[in-house]
Amino acid sequence: MASSSSDQTFDVASFVEDYSLYRISQYVLVVLFIGFFLAPLETGIMTAFKTNRAVAETIPLMPPLAEGFTLDNMTFALNALSGAFFNSLFMAIPATIGSVLFGSMAAYGLTMVDWRGQLGVLVLFLIGIFLPYQAVLVPLARFWNNIFPLASMVEPLFIALPFLQGYHANLVPLMITHIAYGIPICTILFRSYYQGLPSSYVEAAKIDGASITKIYRRIILPISKPMFGVVFIYQFTQIYNEFLFAFTLITGSDTPEAVVTLILPAVGASTSGVDFGIRMSAAFLAALPTLIIYVAFAEQFAKGLRTEA
Amino acid sequence: MTKRFGDTTAVEDLSLDIPDSEFLVLVGPSGCGKSTTLRCIAGLESPTEGSIYIDGEHMNYRVPQNRDIAMVFQDYALYPHMTVRENIRFGLEEESGYTSEERDARVEEIADLLGISSMLDRNPDELSGGQQQRVALGRAIVRDPEVFLMDEPLSNLDAELRAEMRTELQQLQHRFDVTTVYVTHNQTEAMTMSDRIAVLNKGTLQQVGEPLELYHAPENRFVAGFIGEPSMNFVEGRHQNGTFTSEFFEYPFDSGIRDDLSDTSEVVLGVRPEDIDLKRLPEGGSSGLADHEFRMTVSVVEPHGDRNVVHLRHPEDASESEAIHALTAGTTVVDAGTDVVVSVDPDTVHVFDAATGEALHNRRLESEVEVHNV
Repeated sequence: MASSSSDQTFDVASFVEDYSLYRISQYVLVVLFIGFFLAPLETGIMTAFKTNRAVAETIPLMPPLAEGFTLDNMTFALNALSGAFFNSLFMAIPATIGSVLFGSMAAYGLTMVDWRGQLGVLVLFLIGIFLPYQAVLVPLARFWNNIFPLASMVEPLFIALPFLQGYHANLVPLMITHIAYGIPICTILFRSYYQGLPSSYVEAAKIDGASITKIYRRIILPISKPMFGVVFIYQFTQIYNEFLFAFTLITGSDTPEAVVTLILPAVGASTSGVDFGIRMSAAFLAALPTLIIYVAFAEQFAKGLRTEA
Repeated sequence: MTKRFGDTTAVEDLSLDIPDSEFLVLVGPSGCGKSTTLRCIAGLESPTEGSIYIDGEHMNYRVPQNRDIAMVFQDYALYPHMTVRENIRFGLEEESGYTSEERDARVEEIADLLGISSMLDRNPDELSGGQQQRVALGRAIVRDPEVFLMDEPLSNLDAELRAEMRTELQQLQHRFDVTTVYVTHNQTEAMTMSDRIAVLNKGTLQQVGEPLELYHAPENRFVAGFIGEPSMNFVEGRHQNGTFTSEFFEYPFDSGIRDDLSDTSEVVLGVRPEDIDLKRLPEGGSSGLADHEFRMTVSVVEPHGDRNVVHLRHPEDASESEAIHALTAGTTVVDAGTDVVVSVDPDTVHVFDAATGEALHNRRLESEVEVHNV
């Protein structure tokens, strides 16, 4: 009911109407789901900043209080992971750029250029997506260790380079493996994007006298910038978080070239039990690069998804 | 030239000779093969059979960039990530014999000519449809090609702009004196812009000729019906003893028409709407009408201002479907539902073979009367 007093103007009746039962239950559900999904994350971050005593004595969801707060876990985890961070990024960034770039080129060649046998090659790419990793692990390890020991071939070069050590050479086979296995999915993603582009771009460029490579470099590559954002984020997250290939090609978590996903299970675990504060700190730090990538490419990502739809 | 895609034949045995600096319009309903023909000339498709020559040189195996052609696309195909300047310049980059400064100067010159100098540093998506159209034209002109190919370049513009660009395109073509092949489904564009029109239907060439030739002397029923707005009236019937008989009409042919028809019996009568005269029904009803006059009922009148389109049906025709339509002067007002006398001058009648669609007799035309040069 509207109030009769002149200075109070808002209409209570319409207010009630807006907040119907349906809407209320909708919001309750949304809040519940947000809580459900965010609680583990919150717990993790809170635990990361607690002393061992606080972890044992307080509710996990609670923020650390006064003397229960510490940064020691973080510094310890950072020290444990710092080398692995470098290894992971050193491997993941070139691998991502490589697979995305090759994927885009392959998609261009398969969609916008006409040649015989296109379909057969496309089928090979499709098969590549569905190839189970478990099936190739042993041949892959044998290939890089016995048949084509690339790591030991490039090792002298790595010793000579600044900032790098000889053991970083062991990351090169992993990098190339990721590029190779990333190309099919990148190709398919780019292909669907290129199929949506009007064919007249390429035709106009052809008539303007541009060669196939020039059309790619000057027309297609710049036009597909938003799609590059999408595929780059996707591919970086995949490669950075990948465990199976890393575990197979790099011997173990105690080696200096181990990547983050190999080190992570070992951080904070000891014979005396699990140190939850350190584990959570390490997990949080390990997730940071992917978060940063998401934030950095958020605009491109949104644009890419929009144009794709 | 023939082009097949798998089992479908897009263009069948098409043969065209386009003289230098001619403006040829390929026109036809959608799916008639006109775009395919253009793409074959451009080198974006290769003909299944036959040869393409430009300036006496065999083109079949040449890639588009070596054919010395330029093409304007229906969607303009402006590169969205480049400015107008870069768009126009792109085509020049592969042309030899220019220095970088000369290329820039040439772009400026063309932009000036098209009135888009002020937009050179803007992106295509900031421009209106007409401006984008101009940029697309600029990109074609800048390379000074032997042949211009245009694929329905005006179809994305609104009516007013289309009329404006039509004139402008013609002026440009005259100015550069470049052979132009223009594809459209719009017969008004075809009539107004072309030196010659080539009408295609279902992949076969129907007729090539000057616009008025196609209008007044169509070679078959398809061309007669396609060229002209509103389109020609067709009445199907039989020819017997010099008289045309249809369901509701009887139309005696004079000797000129009879000679052309010989003994074909199944024919189609064609009359342009503007050749049908309407008169008030005389007092005596339908009695006392002359040979080439009929009584008909007005079903719908479409006023256009300068002219009115009057749809007529036969009074005994129960189906109420429109039989024919006539064009009257804008000041002649007829009410729907009234009966009128329709007269058709035998001089204006076309007769087509009902089976083949071929024109057996076209209207008589004394060129100095009908088409006089001002």
